[in-house]
Amino acid sequence: MSSTKIDRRNFLKVLGLGGAGAALAGCDMPSYATLEEGEEQVFSYLAPEEYVIPGIGVWYASTCLQCPAGCGVHGRVREGRALKLEGNPNTAVNRGKLCQMGQAALQTHYNPDRIAKPRIGAKEVTWAQALAFIKAKSTGTPAWLTGAISGHQGVLMDAHLNASGGGKHYGVEIVNAQAWRSACADTIGDAQPDLHIDKARSMVSFGADVLGTWISPVKFMADYGEFRAAPRGVLTVIEPAMTLSGANADHWVAARPGSEAAVALGVANALATEYSVSTSALPTGVADAIFTMTPERVRELSGVDTRTLSRIAGTLMSNSPSLVIGDGSYENAVAAMALNLMLGNIGATITPGADLVPADLAMRDGSTKALANFAKNAQSGDIQAAFISGANPVFTAPDGLNMKDALAKIELKVAIAMFEDETTQFCDVVLPLASPLEDWGTHAPPLGAARGEIHVQQPLMEKLHPEALGLGDILLGLAQDAGAAGLDDFEDYYGYLRTAISAMIGTGQEAAWQDVLQAGKVQAPATQRSFTANGSLTINVPESKAPGKGELILITTARQGLYDGRHANLPWLQEAPDQISKAVWDSWAEIHPTTAARLGLKDGDYVTITSADGALTTRIFLYKGVHPDAIAVPMGQGHTHYGRYASSVGVNPLNLLGADTDARTGEVSNTTTVHVQATGDNRYLVRLMDIDRQYGRKLTATISADQQRRNQSNKQGGA
Amino acid sequence: MSPDRPKRRPFPWIRTVMAVGVVGASIVLGGQLLEQERRGGESPVTEAGPRVPNAQFPTDTFNGKDVPQPINYSHKLHAGDLGINCLYCHTYARRSKVAGIPPTSKCMGCHTVVATADEKPEIEKLAAMWESGQSPAWNKVNDVPDFVHFSHERHLQKFLFDNPDMNVKDSREVCAMCHGDMVEVTVAKKMRPLTMGFCNTCHENNNGPADCTRCHK
Repeated sequence: MSSTKIDRRNFLKVLGLGGAGAALAGCDMPSYATLEEGEEQVFSYLAPEEYVIPGIGVWYASTCLQCPAGCGVHGRVREGRALKLEGNPNTAVNRGKLCQMGQAALQTHYNPDRIAKPRIGAKEVTWAQALAFIKAKSTGTPAWLTGAISGHQGVLMDAHLNASGGGKHYGVEIVNAQAWRSACADTIGDAQPDLHIDKARSMVSFGADVLGTWISPVKFMADYGEFRAAPRGVLTVIEPAMTLSGANADHWVAARPGSEAAVALGVANALATEYSVSTSALPTGVADAIFTMTPERVRELSGVDTRTLSRIAGTLMSNSPSLVIGDGSYENAVAAMALNLMLGNIGATITPGADLVPADLAMRDGSTKALANFAKNAQSGDIQAAFISGANPVFTAPDGLNMKDALAKIELKVAIAMFEDETTQFCDVVLPLASPLEDWGTHAPPLGAARGEIHVQQPLMEKLHPEALGLGDILLGLAQDAGAAGLDDFEDYYGYLRTAISAMIGTGQEAAWQDVLQAGKVQAPATQRSFTANGSLTINVPESKAPGKGELILITTARQGLYDGRHANLPWLQEAPDQISKAVWDSWAEIHPTTAARLGLKDGDYVTITSADGALTTRIFLYKGVHPDAIAVPMGQGHTHYGRYASSVGVNPLNLLGADTDARTGEVSNTTTVHVQATGDNRYLVRLMDIDRQYGRKLTATISADQQRRNQSNKQGGA
Repeated sequence: MSPDRPKRRPFPWIRTVMAVGVVGASIVLGGQLLEQERRGGESPVTEAGPRVPNAQFPTDTFNGKDVPQPINYSHKLHAGDLGINCLYCHTYARRSKVAGIPPTSKCMGCHTVVATADEKPEIEKLAAMWESGQSPAWNKVNDVPDFVHFSHERHLQKFLFDNPDMNVKDSREVCAMCHGDMVEVTVAKKMRPLTMGFCNTCHENNNGPADCTRCHK
């Protein structure tokens, strides 16, 4: 063999050795590349507090503002940066727990789309210029449009409105419990009674998503944990489209949209006829309605059969005390309260709430009635200057309210916002708002007030955008400018708040103030309310008939996560799979498989959903947890101007709703009749859990519900 | 087999492969030589520096870059000539995962009295920053990647506080295990490679934990 000749054997030797050598040598090299010298900077502290140690977090108490529940939080701060939020264990509301929306408050705070500077039109200006512009332009009485607001921010807002000629406050929340509150006020004379899920042994919900979005979901979830502990409470949920609560229920019943009240009265009828429960605690008008609601009539209105009604009645009877809640419409809530009255839950699992002293610290609830009133008053020219903060009326207003036209009628529109959104596009002045982690405040949580608890919000870190101002500071400045009495001494909102809280706790000492900050709450005096019966109450069960041929009833559903759309710009919540469909970063329409088969639709088909007020195109998701007469589209998506993460993702079902309002509560209806038409497109909906079958692999062992019931009755029989 | 058929070369692409191989090998070897030099070819670090008497630790050295700093602070002067204990300034090292750079208030604690701004131009820079409420932007010299969880606190506990057998006299001996003898440099210079092999050698010699997740969290 010639030495110059490369044969196969030598070639492979060279290749093998060379390759191995290069690989080994190569492995060692990048380790130095990653060890940078002089590439990154490190800043030392100037004069830190003694307890500040780099690398070790310090926890501060504050309050979560991601939804109106106002949970107390502990925030971990390290090297001057807020890094993590958890629930504050000292509060009666959330007791150390925090939901995903609260956890994602960090992304609200660090969001790259935060507004950093004031602007007039498209032009960035200084604060002085913006305030001068507002002063020159605001002629008439101002109006405030906000979300639910409470505590001293509410007090200062009143001061501003009163000092500038008695304008109005419109508190707007699309996801609210107004129907429940009106019903409670009408039946027991207390709009916000305290609920004790933990003390109940059975709970029935008629259209209230108690574990997802209703009033104070984290509190309810904690209570629900105790409810489920031995002896295990039984949860029954009756609703048109499955919610997080429905998914947790032992017994889930699909009712035609708007017919939950009929089912509730049907259950009351079963209690009265089968179990001889007295209706003497009920107002005559309601008792009469129960006896007209025969099982046949219930089936006609809701599609729910007699056996189901008896089963719910039986569950309530054998698991006492019980708790019945209802929302979605005034009738649902009144019918639920009727059941509570019959079952003797008033005073047991429903106890009176309390009024804070002073009363103006209490939460000013948000409603859609206020949204409709705002649109109406703006249209008629009654509002000359509007201050908008914590609400996005252009996005959340049903199309029927013509919010854009209404805003155009207002001479001066000032948005105080963290983010550019659909509403700031229509505002003359936009002022940068500090994030909840940078701001001071007090908040009266809707269910903490029963114990006189006011949660204190304190900044966890320096402002990321130095020009942003807290809501309290802006309110104080505006109130001072308007000449409100007694506010001249305060340089900033911190000073105001400290004085106010010192007055509340009766001492101005530093140590007492530090105690308040450390606890994250202050105990305010509160007077217990008492229940009063209302004998003249009546209930009109709506005629919920099956929709006409080719029609479906659209339900706009709320989810813990994107909520009413305010959290659509938080990637964590977009990425967190939807609780029902497990879909991410998208919109869809839930539709029952039999309905889909009737309409000739497959999973993933794109459909155009048309109502009298608008149309949208999205794909369908076949799901048995929705009533066959309904089509459910979750709200939250479909933003057009809400930063890089939310814009152009999904569709906004609120665009399809009309301006129909409830006669008793004034709330705007969240359902409407729609036509569904396939577009011919079909695409895969990205979901975390793609299939609901195991194909015989027994990944999770299951038995049928019937089998489980038989096992249980055998056990009870044997014992 | 036809005799007319032209004879094929057995591996027509062998020249290309060899050329690529030669270039690749020279890059790899050149890189290695370069790193070898940085590792300690002409290292200023001597083996005679302070060391924990009975500990076995890797003797690898590294000739780091001269990293410019906003203030020309001298470890040689403070820790060497004046004999200030490392932990007097890097007080966080025994309480936290990071040793931390001392706060300006600590510097000014001495420098309002000794070697004041009037006397020294570098102190003048420091005093000006202190007055204007600015922190100096130091450039990191010793740094491990983000996927490595290193705790100063744990290592000081092991070698300095919880360690009667090794007869440690000065915290400098412990610090020098990973940082070299800092009294030989002015501001700071990387004098140990701080690679995984470097860490592992010491962990093996001194019964440190060997599970991956202890450092890679």
